Amino acid sequence: MEHSHDSVLAGSIHAYSIYLHTPFCQQRCTYCDFNTVAGRSSLIPRYVHALCTEIVTTTANLHQPLPVHTVYFGGGTPSLLQPEQVQDILGTISHVFNLLPGVEITMEANPGTLELDRLAGYHAAGINRISLGMQTSNAEELRMLGRIHTNAGTIEAVDLARRAGFTNISLDLIYSLPCQNLASWKATVQDAVELQPQHLSLYALKLEDGTPLALRVASGDLPEPDPDLAADMYEAAAGMLLQNGYAQYEISNWALDAPGQRFQSRHNRQYWENRPYFGFGAGAHALLAEQRLVNLPGLTAYIKACETTQPAEFPRGPATTQATPRTPQEAIDDHMILGLRLTEEGVNLADVTIRYGIDPLECFGSQIALLTKQGLLEFTNNHLAIRLTPRGRLLGNQVFYHFLRD
Amino acid sequence: MTTHIRNFCIIAHIDHGKSTLADRLLQLTGTISDREMKEQVLDSMDLEREKGVTIKASAVRMVYTAKDGNEYHLNLIDTPGHVDFSYEVSRALAACEGALLIVDASQGIEAQTLANLYLALEADLTIIPVINKIDLISARPDEVAEEISNLLGCDPDTVLRISAKEGLHVDQVLEAIVTQVPPPHGRQDEPLKALVFDSHYDSYKGTVAYVRVVEGQLNAQDTLLAMSTNIVIRPVEIGYFSPVMKPTDLLDNAEVGYIATGLKSVSECRVGDTITSVKNPAAEKLPGYQQAKPMVYAGIYPVEGEDYLDLKDALGKLQMNDASLVYEPETSQALNFGFRCGFLGLFHMEIIQERIEREYDLDIVITAPSVEYEVVLRTGETILVDSPADLPEEGDIVEIREPWMRLQIFTPTDFYGTVMELATKRRGIFVEQEYPAPNRVQLVYEIPLSELIVDFFDDLKTRTRGYASMDYSFGEYRPGDLVKLEILVGGDPVDALATIVHREDAYHRGQALVSKLKELIPRQLFDVAIQAYSTGRVISRANVKALRKDVLAKCYGGDITRKKKLLEKQKKGKKRMKMVGNVEIPQEAFMAVLKLEDK
Repeated sequence: MEHSHDSVLAGSIHAYSIYLHTPFCQQRCTYCDFNTVAGRSSLIPRYVHALCTEIVTTTANLHQPLPVHTVYFGGGTPSLLQPEQVQDILGTISHVFNLLPGVEITMEANPGTLELDRLAGYHAAGINRISLGMQTSNAEELRMLGRIHTNAGTIEAVDLARRAGFTNISLDLIYSLPCQNLASWKATVQDAVELQPQHLSLYALKLEDGTPLALRVASGDLPEPDPDLAADMYEAAAGMLLQNGYAQYEISNWALDAPGQRFQSRHNRQYWENRPYFGFGAGAHALLAEQRLVNLPGLTAYIKACETTQPAEFPRGPATTQATPRTPQEAIDDHMILGLRLTEEGVNLADVTIRYGIDPLECFGSQIALLTKQGLLEFTNNHLAIRLTPRGRLLGNQVFYHFLRD
Repeated sequence: MTTHIRNFCIIAHIDHGKSTLADRLLQLTGTISDREMKEQVLDSMDLEREKGVTIKASAVRMVYTAKDGNEYHLNLIDTPGHVDFSYEVSRALAACEGALLIVDASQGIEAQTLANLYLALEADLTIIPVINKIDLISARPDEVAEEISNLLGCDPDTVLRISAKEGLHVDQVLEAIVTQVPPPHGRQDEPLKALVFDSHYDSYKGTVAYVRVVEGQLNAQDTLLAMSTNIVIRPVEIGYFSPVMKPTDLLDNAEVGYIATGLKSVSECRVGDTITSVKNPAAEKLPGYQQAKPMVYAGIYPVEGEDYLDLKDALGKLQMNDASLVYEPETSQALNFGFRCGFLGLFHMEIIQERIEREYDLDIVITAPSVEYEVVLRTGETILVDSPADLPEEGDIVEIREPWMRLQIFTPTDFYGTVMELATKRRGIFVEQEYPAPNRVQLVYEIPLSELIVDFFDDLKTRTRGYASMDYSFGEYRPGDLVKLEILVGGDPVDALATIVHREDAYHRGQALVSKLKELIPRQLFDVAIQAYSTGRVISRANVKALRKDVLAKCYGGDITRKKKLLEKQKKGKKRMKMVGNVEIPQEAFMAVLKLEDK
């Protein structure tokens, strides 16, 4: 093989992941600053074609198909794609990659875009995990966020997904909203739990500059969320989820306790384990061959690049606009910052030594000592690993920046 | 011999058009061609131009053929336009026989106009009043002429009315200088006495002293002596400004020019000193020399510890050009290694701060300014304290004396009440008032300098919508009921936050400082107590609650770079904090004492 990739040689457990970006939305949410566009859905067929071309072109110079264990349709609103289009994309992928048995294929879906036929079509195309953007069950909060669905829509979407054959459903919730109080948040969590999803992601709202919601807060139209209340919400939700059989495994993620971490998001774990992933689609990010790659973010620029560009040297693809090599030091820093997000297992120190040839206690000894003294980090697993303490989970940034070296 | 020489200066309030008039005079006399003309030649530093004031004086020789057909040397000596530099102003005035008093046709007389005018009258100068900016729509030249007439006792109709900007009637100014300013009368055959009225540092020629030959002649070949500092000078060259340096062999009696001394610091050849020749020395020096005395002190620290040597270097270079800047190394437990610096006044301090930041590109923290206190101890000894942290224990002190100033505030009468209130609140003692112009009052106070250096001028400007102006000069040291106000953060006293205040003010100053610090100190991993402490007890306290949540929830589509940028920023911010015990204190907190809002 021309390119040596440790992760491939190490066998299937270190297989690749694939992220696929769908930037289209019916309407932009008021808090969103992702690479998304509303009202351009006529471009979807061309976009899907470009996406398939990108996948083929990027992998053209590889001598053998790379093993892949997760595929993730993120957005935007991937559920604006027709099942046939999803089938085309997955067909292309299976053609040029080696999709491993039991591959996890997730699709993010907006509850306002789903009908039974469509869901059944996705399932038939190979999607086996669905992540629904529930966000909140409170009608006023949904309106404030600019969501296109109601809570009844969420309930219906979960029901339809089950009827379409999905047995691995995740719900996204968002807290620390302007005007949200502890009671309304607990109600949302309770409503979510009653839908019995296999997985839950809880994200605190971050007011991104320039978004309509941030502008309303800046103008005084809406109150600024209180970070202490956000902490109360987080702790309250953690307690409720624990009682209902969900185990926390990452700062913002909970999965039904099942053998073999069955319902954890394997795709997201790929990021947190600092392992390689492809990123296809406009503005998508990838980590391949120790390079961080970014695609052209503009929709038409992206499509054009995919349609016209010849294969380049791996890992560059036709729409790559940035490719930044990662130094070995950065790789270790990334590993610590990402790995510490895994709240249960944390960072296994021996693993780091094996993967990077450096004992983290050597390069981060003083930081780890300080952070354990501050009560933000703790040793676990017989002193083999470090992880965030319950308090540290809410103060992750205060921990992470210590692992960024100059 | 000296009948063709006129030495004069221009005195004016900031923005009344001194520099513009100087430009026009240079143009009209052909000293500088229109083409070479750049705005405000005399103000060569950017900073001055921005602040609209002249920091460094210049001295330009203009050759002018008057209406009487004779050729004259008109030496224009520029004066610094700010209260902090009144000694420098007085030396520049001493080098002249006449002064143009510029008054803005719409603003009228201001505090600095008066202050400088009184200095000029003390120096026995002939005053030529000039009303400038008569082209402005808001100009009221008749009223202003009336004001000037009241002040000087001159005929209002004889006051020149010009627009330097438009070049209107500027020729009349040149004629008035020739006819009204008396020619200098020095004795050419006496031993040399040359007055140093300014200086600058030139990296090739060393300190360049600006001089007026008062007695005798200055020869380029002479070995010279600076009489006060007793330093021997072998001139690199002598010459005059036109306006660039023009070397010459001889500066004749009564002429104005420069001596390039080759000395490596302006402090070796100070303003006010007398230069004589070693061969034939003068018996005594010219009167009026004073050692520059700093009035305001503050600590200057590098934000990044590794910049310490660069900061030291910057201060050294600034001092080469500025004999009134003093500094010595200082160590603060909160801010580590830096310098205790002495300045002539607040304005001087601001200039130095800006020059360090701009010309030397250094990030600095400057601590709250302090005056110099005389502290009488039980041992009978008297010590000088310019840093509040150095104040001895209360029990060891018999008396603390602080500098009191004579403060003149010139304001439209509408603001009489609010100005009175401000001065009284700041412990000012009313001395007298005068009405030198219609609807204008000059209020004179005695006031502690420590009250003036904390935000006084800004407050005055706010209260009078910018109309009031002020001037101050040192009066005397007086005992005061003063106490040290300390700030404890997390139980530890922070030396750089200590201040010396009047006992009656301690309580509300302590409270204001504590609440300001509560805003400025970010939440940490633990509760942080902030306390104000004075005369043995805590007078105010507040608590910065521990930080509970600081984590980025989502890492979207594997884009960790964005998150890392935020963490980098956070890390950088942390680095800029100063550690006091376990507590991180941001830079701004150390200046907080300056920005306290009064209740």
